Amino acid sequence: MGAASSPSCAALASWTVAAVLLQVAGLSLFLYGFFPVKPTLPGLSGAESYRTPSCGPVGGGEEPALPPDQLRSLYRELSGVPRVYDRLVLMVIDGLPAEFVLGRGGKPPSKEMMESMPYTQSLLAGCKAVGYHAKAAPPTVTMPRLKSMVSGAIGGFLDVALNFNTQAFLDDNLLDQLHAIGYKLVMLGDETWIKLFPTLFYRQDGVSSFYVKDTVEVDFNVSRHLEFELDAKDWDALILHYLGLDHVGHTGGRRSVLMTKKLKEMDDVIRRIHTASMSLQDSPDRTLLVVVSDHGMTEGGNHGGSSYEETDSLALFIGHSVESSYCSPYDQKEALQVDLAPTLALLFGIPIPKNNIGILLPELVNSLTDDQKLRSLELNSWQIVRLLQEQLPAICFEHCINPNDGWGIGMLPESTEEKLCHLLSKAYASHQSPRLHRDSDFKSVEAVGHFGTAVDAYYGFLRYASEWLSHRATDKPLYLLVSAISLMIVSCFSLAGIISCLFRGNSSSQVEQHSELHLDKHWHLDEVFVLMGMLLYVISLGSSSFVEEEQYTWHFLTSSLYLIFLFKTVQSMLKESNSTVLRKSEAKIFHRNNYSFLTSYKFGPGQRDGYKLYTVLVVLVSGRIIRAWHQGGVNWVHILDISKILAQADPYIIKCLQIISVLVVVVLYAVSLMLLRTRKVHVIGLWFSHLFCGLLVVLHIWESQLNTSVLINHSTTSIAQIFYAIASMSIVLTILVSPWVSPIHSEEAEPTSSSSSNPEKTVHLHGINYSVFLTGITYTMFWCLLQLLLQQAINAIPLLLILLQIISSVIHFSREKPLHRQWVQVVAMQLLGLTGHFGLGNTNSLASIDVAGAFVGISSYSTVLSGLLMFISTYGSPLLLYLGMVVYISVKDNDDISAPQLFKWSSILNKMIALPCLVPLLINSIALTSYTIVLLLMRNHLFVWSVFSPKYLYVCAATVCTYAGVLIIAMTAVYTCAVFSFRTRSYRNKSM
Amino acid sequence: MGAEATQISAFAAAAAHALCFAGLAAAHSFAGRGALISDPALALRLLVVCEAPLVIVVFSLLRRDPERCSLIKAAARGLLGLPIGAFLNAFGAIVLGAPVGIKYWTATTYWSLLMSLFTFVPAACVFGASKVDWQNVLSYSAVFLFSHASYCTSSNVVDCMISVPSHGAVIGAWLGAWPMPLDWERPWQEWPICVTYGAVAGHLIGMLVSLILIVAHKRRVRVKAD
Repeated sequence: MGAASSPSCAALASWTVAAVLLQVAGLSLFLYGFFPVKPTLPGLSGAESYRTPSCGPVGGGEEPALPPDQLRSLYRELSGVPRVYDRLVLMVIDGLPAEFVLGRGGKPPSKEMMESMPYTQSLLAGCKAVGYHAKAAPPTVTMPRLKSMVSGAIGGFLDVALNFNTQAFLDDNLLDQLHAIGYKLVMLGDETWIKLFPTLFYRQDGVSSFYVKDTVEVDFNVSRHLEFELDAKDWDALILHYLGLDHVGHTGGRRSVLMTKKLKEMDDVIRRIHTASMSLQDSPDRTLLVVVSDHGMTEGGNHGGSSYEETDSLALFIGHSVESSYCSPYDQKEALQVDLAPTLALLFGIPIPKNNIGILLPELVNSLTDDQKLRSLELNSWQIVRLLQEQLPAICFEHCINPNDGWGIGMLPESTEEKLCHLLSKAYASHQSPRLHRDSDFKSVEAVGHFGTAVDAYYGFLRYASEWLSHRATDKPLYLLVSAISLMIVSCFSLAGIISCLFRGNSSSQVEQHSELHLDKHWHLDEVFVLMGMLLYVISLGSSSFVEEEQYTWHFLTSSLYLIFLFKTVQSMLKESNSTVLRKSEAKIFHRNNYSFLTSYKFGPGQRDGYKLYTVLVVLVSGRIIRAWHQGGVNWVHILDISKILAQADPYIIKCLQIISVLVVVVLYAVSLMLLRTRKVHVIGLWFSHLFCGLLVVLHIWESQLNTSVLINHSTTSIAQIFYAIASMSIVLTILVSPWVSPIHSEEAEPTSSSSSNPEKTVHLHGINYSVFLTGITYTMFWCLLQLLLQQAINAIPLLLILLQIISSVIHFSREKPLHRQWVQVVAMQLLGLTGHFGLGNTNSLASIDVAGAFVGISSYSTVLSGLLMFISTYGSPLLLYLGMVVYISVKDNDDISAPQLFKWSSILNKMIALPCLVPLLINSIALTSYTIVLLLMRNHLFVWSVFSPKYLYVCAATVCTYAGVLIIAMTAVYTCAVFSFRTRSYRNKSM
Repeated sequence: MGAEATQISAFAAAAAHALCFAGLAAAHSFAGRGALISDPALALRLLVVCEAPLVIVVFSLLRRDPERCSLIKAAARGLLGLPIGAFLNAFGAIVLGAPVGIKYWTATTYWSLLMSLFTFVPAACVFGASKVDWQNVLSYSAVFLFSHASYCTSSNVVDCMISVPSHGAVIGAWLGAWPMPLDWERPWQEWPICVTYGAVAGHLIGMLVSLILIVAHKRRVRVKAD
């Protein structure tokens, strides 16, 4: 009856797979709908950009392709603004925060920074250069930022995902425009440029941004060409991209000792370029040196998010047009990174790129006459109007500037269209009036005043339009998103349905058997707490600060759950000490199920009470230490925590802690292998390979200690490669071999099985448990070593603490008479994993992803491999818990399967892995679905791109992580059971 | 066991709760408005000083086995229970993430003493070291949220008076910690201010609920008796 009422194994599996597939489909639909590849205007802008924009659809007024010289003169003729510069040196310093050069909040930078860039500071102080805090748009990652610098457009959010897989850039941009008028371009530095513009450069030398630890060679490879290029006369635009400063940040943070050295080096490059261009002063060529950074960096040297520190990038212009007699270089001059594109386009006499949303920077055109300045602004406005027409077809330039038609100046603007139109017509009207005045050839005070109002009016329009364009919530296909969400909801409910079905089957089969007192039908405190906690978590996702500080939520929930476990343990201890009768009966149960490995050590009843209590205490205390290790997600980063204290201390302390953790992991593995109480060859072999891997990790730590700042370290790479080889071989061998060699008719189990009703069954279960335990513990311990290899040095101890938490939880849950239902135990394990994810310093901002770990042991660039390593090191903790779940299912005694008629392989499998697989899937599905709904509701929120969208990427990655973990659990158990059923059959045949 | 223990009237229970409430109110009036925010340590100290003697005396009067155990002994148990309960509460709070810096040391101490007065001291006064009673009062907690019907009926009124307000205090404090990570930058988000607010509010609600349960139970018993 029990077998009939509980769903069959195959049906369960197929339903689960169907639900998961539904979820994947919903998720992909949602991703497709919510993160559209932003529609851009195709093609390059040409001569039409110097004509008044016409109404109606933007016609493809194709002009015949002119040879560069003719095109150049055509542009010069049409534009009405003379070219200000002839040669361009664009120097990109990756990751340089503007704060280092320009200070912050109107104050000059710190003395140390001033002294490390003496030449640049002297230029600023001498009013020969002008610097801006150019705000970069999130995601602050190199490739999207380079694109927006040259095209003036803010790319789609998912560009960050494509950052590793750069493809040629086809939108309208500065470099293609320069190329079209016959400029010869030279590129030295980050090869991202070459990937973006594969055929554009006249000369190029790309360096890879691949070896994050290399801070010297990468810049030397750029600078070594400098002398030659500065002497050469054959180029018109030189692009230098220095990666070293970003690498310094990634390895040592903002305050790294290498930082001042690197800044001095950059300052020296600026000095060399500037003096070289000064020496050409007499010649007709005028050179503009632009020093920009693509993004800033956080205190820890990472980037990707949207904090002030990361978006505060530099735009520094050095050339004759910015020189003035008076300036205050450290005023906080704000600009946008995209402003670079129209500014350079106007300075070099080329059309502004079509998709640009930037605005001309005013101080760059000081050398022009008033009229030319207004003309530049007019060109900028025309380009923006064309872009606006594409997105708001109602806007029409001619109607706007003609007050008789439609919208007039006097009318109060209401809709966005009207407001834009109003601003535009105001600007145009005030532009026209000084032009009329000028005809009398008489510069009155009035004309100057008119000029001022015209400039202000133009900037009023441009700022409003630019802001609107950049903040415009892209039209999302709502029906698509809603159907995607409904798919996810259906999947979520079907998972819940499967679990409730499973429960119904379980409870009916349990009633038939011994009705245990503790598993009555009442809801227990811990169960209600789990449900309430999930509800609170889902509610908390709606608040941006709870999303930013998610680690507090998880830690709070996990600790509360374990406090409840503690409470229940104390309660049961009180109960046991009160009733001696109960103890006796329990001792009997204890004796019967002696095949559970962790409990197989003979604990006296008192001892067992002790270990129950201590395990929970260990989990709680280590959880608190982990939380204190990395304090704060986004808002409270400044709070002092253990990792910051250690980072300031002697680096040897961190190395020692790392080595200690490796040793502890090795010892723990040895102890757990000893629990198996066999001296078989394969166990000893496994132990040796683990020991060897541990030694390799220690060696790797040691080697990287010896030479921190040196270039690519080949010895560490090969050590890591050997580690990967040995570890993966050991794990694969363990999975494949352990079911075959584990005892099927074991002698150890013989005495204990005497009391059992079905000796054969106990023996099988013993074998399965043995094999799964061996596999699980091997997974877990090798995974820990891998994490110790990949994670930042500071994370060694938190990782060890998470391992301790797993072991303690498994011991706590493995007791014979469980205090909690199985699904609560699975939830507790999963909560530990999620808390640990944040405990390893991860946050919901993209900035906290540790890039350095993604390149350990890789000798040539590979998107797949380094992406995989990055995933492994970011999701180390949840995956560790899923692997620990394999150990958990092996020590969990399945005494529910005591009825002989129930003894089937499929039912064993069912009992073993149904809940450990389904509960994580359900919880993840709830989190994913509710967060998707939150994201849909928040699609117009101010923080949607800075807080909610990065978190959504994390949620998606967590979903992938859950699938991987569940797949590992399921595959291990299925394979083991399959092998065992085969072996029993052949064993029976033989004995017959 | 329950039958032989002191059965007290609903009026007595109300009086006991009213006394405890009076202690809190007195501390509030001494400290003045907003004292908890401006100087949490001082306000908490006042609360503890005002509340401690009241709670110990009130619950010592309600002690089990009045024949075998004198009032003084019960009060001594309560005094001994105060630091023990404070330690347990402080452990819970720190494990849940309360800051441990020297700056917070005094506030945490006073907060945990207050929580001890809400949770541990009453039980220590009444039960002493009786394991059975402790087990009873703890095991209610597991079900009391979901089956009010079974609670406060078969058992002692005093159990109800101890258990419900103390659970209220714990749940209130737990819920009170939720606003702490929000970026509102209000002074009351500091540890332990909002947690204290939550605990006091939960405790008061718990008192009210326990009174309602007791009255309802008495009425049902009377109806049954009729």
